[in-house]
Amino acid sequence: MAKKVLVVDDDENTRKFLSAALVENGYEPITAENGKIGLEKIMSEKPELVLLDVMMPKKTGFVLFKQIRREEEFKDLPVIMLTGVAEVLEDLDAESGDTHERPYDALREKMRQAIKEMKEEGLVKPNMFIDKPIDPELVISKIKELIGT
Amino acid sequence: MITRVTIFWKLIVAFIILFLVELLILQAFNAAGLSPLLSNILAITVMLLIGCFTAAYFIRLYIKPPIEQLHKGMNMLAERKYNFRLEEDKKDEFGSLASSFNEMADMLTSSLTELKRNRDYLESIFEGSADIIITVNDAGNIRTINTGAENTLGYNQMEIAGKPIDILFADPEEKDIAIQKLRLSENVVNYEMRFITKQKEERNVLFTLTRLHNSNGAVIGTIGIGKDITEEKRLQKKLIQSQRLAAIGEVFTGIQHSMKNMLNACKGGSYMVRTGLKNENHKMLIEGWAMVEEGIFRMTAMSMDMLKYVKEWKPRVKLVDIQKLLIDIDGVIGKTARDKSVELKLDVSSDIPTVLCDSQMIHSAVMDIVSNAIDACLWKDYDKDEIPEVKLSTYLSEDNEKSIIEVVDNGCGMSERVIENIFTPFFSTKSKAGTGLGLSITSRMIDVHGGNIEVESETDVGTTFRIVLPVNATGRNKENDHGKKSISS
Repeated sequence: MAKKVLVVDDDENTRKFLSAALVENGYEPITAENGKIGLEKIMSEKPELVLLDVMMPKKTGFVLFKQIRREEEFKDLPVIMLTGVAEVLEDLDAESGDTHERPYDALREKMRQAIKEMKEEGLVKPNMFIDKPIDPELVISKIKELIGT
Repeated sequence: MITRVTIFWKLIVAFIILFLVELLILQAFNAAGLSPLLSNILAITVMLLIGCFTAAYFIRLYIKPPIEQLHKGMNMLAERKYNFRLEEDKKDEFGSLASSFNEMADMLTSSLTELKRNRDYLESIFEGSADIIITVNDAGNIRTINTGAENTLGYNQMEIAGKPIDILFADPEEKDIAIQKLRLSENVVNYEMRFITKQKEERNVLFTLTRLHNSNGAVIGTIGIGKDITEEKRLQKKLIQSQRLAAIGEVFTGIQHSMKNMLNACKGGSYMVRTGLKNENHKMLIEGWAMVEEGIFRMTAMSMDMLKYVKEWKPRVKLVDIQKLLIDIDGVIGKTARDKSVELKLDVSSDIPTVLCDSQMIHSAVMDIVSNAIDACLWKDYDKDEIPEVKLSTYLSEDNEKSIIEVVDNGCGMSERVIENIFTPFFSTKSKAGTGLGLSITSRMIDVHGGNIEVESETDVGTTFRIVLPVNATGRNKENDHGKKSISS
């Protein structure tokens, strides 16, 4: 039986091509267009891996992620974040006292806070971050690494 | 009290003696049997001779030496030998004169000492100052420069004194401007110039120039006190450069962020095209190609928006019926909203006068704000008894001078941080859609009408946008600072 992979992204195109790539590689794609539906699908479909976008309506990816991790059942569910947060955080750490305001400061701060909270609560971090534009082949190879074929 | 035997009394005594001698001689001539007339003539002649010799003797004995001393004293003072003093041993007028001379010499010495002290003090200020101090005479030639000037300019006082001030100017025009300014005013404060040092290096200097006058008020030259600001200028330039780089960086980051999502569609689409071709899956190929086209379409839109943002805005104004314009917008976007389960409510009062504006611009601005409002509704997780809705209305301000178009939504709202930046190009909270330039362009459109946009918002409660247009707007051709917006939250 094909392994279920949930794609949570509000962008229809991303859901579409990731689904195509998953089918092509023998996985069964399930999709959700926002965090709220995403949580429902995790509960009902019990996927083996989640591809999770961060900036989404209704419930952001981080909020959903924290909810998943708090559930005993999904504590170790592999999650790939579809964002460049790793880069963003590295960038944040490299910044030294530059007070010049940048338009994405608010977003960075939000992400930094979310990661900090996760650490404090002893939550397992997302398995990896893949930045957009997403390379479907890269995503598939990472899924294979995490859950096999 | 010292009693002086003055020359006057000495002369009186001498005359009495002479008179007595003359009487004796007269008696002797009379006794010798000479006629009285001849005796008198001879006696007077002899007396005059004796008188002359006596006078000569007196002058040589009492008057010549002190006058010679006085003359010598004067010469000594002229030779700046201020320590010379006359002897005051004589108890006559010359003694008194010598005493007066000495008193005068004392006063002169003390005045000179005072003068020297003052001069030394001023010189120490002049020399000790780290600032550049240069004095120039009436003819434009350098008189003095201080150590500060020597250090900065590389010249020393000896070699530069007497040279025309022109040799210091990197740009002769700056000298001419300074002269012109000095003609208009006694002082030129903080005048920035460029000097050339002896080593032919250019230095930026900031000078305050002041006319120098003599005691009669005539101009005798100019004093310039300034400082070397080359380093400050360099740092300033560097700062501007780094600010410019930071601004460019910000724009690049913004563009990259917007492009990321467009490229995402292209990349995903091309994967589907490739897979569709490989598997001869026609449906996948078409879907993939549509995705690629969407990416291209959005990138094109962004490049157009970028052009739009930088272009000069000239509204083509005519009298516009705002109610009609809103009804029009409702017709265009109402269905889209309903498709997304958002209720668009239109409320137009009938007493709104026509407004002089560019209808296309106002149409596009309202469309932008309404579609943002619809998006804000999509982002909110509503309670069961709440319906996503956007209210569009227009009314007149209390003073009847402004026409207001109001867009109220009950969507996700914005934080203060977001509100502050909504008009900044490429500041976007919509990660997937938009070009990041929508509100920046909209705000400029309203700005060129002499209007403004007001924003009030609360997270998870909703947002109110108000486009405020002057009723008698005549459409300005010149834009003002479009960055200024009245924002309240």
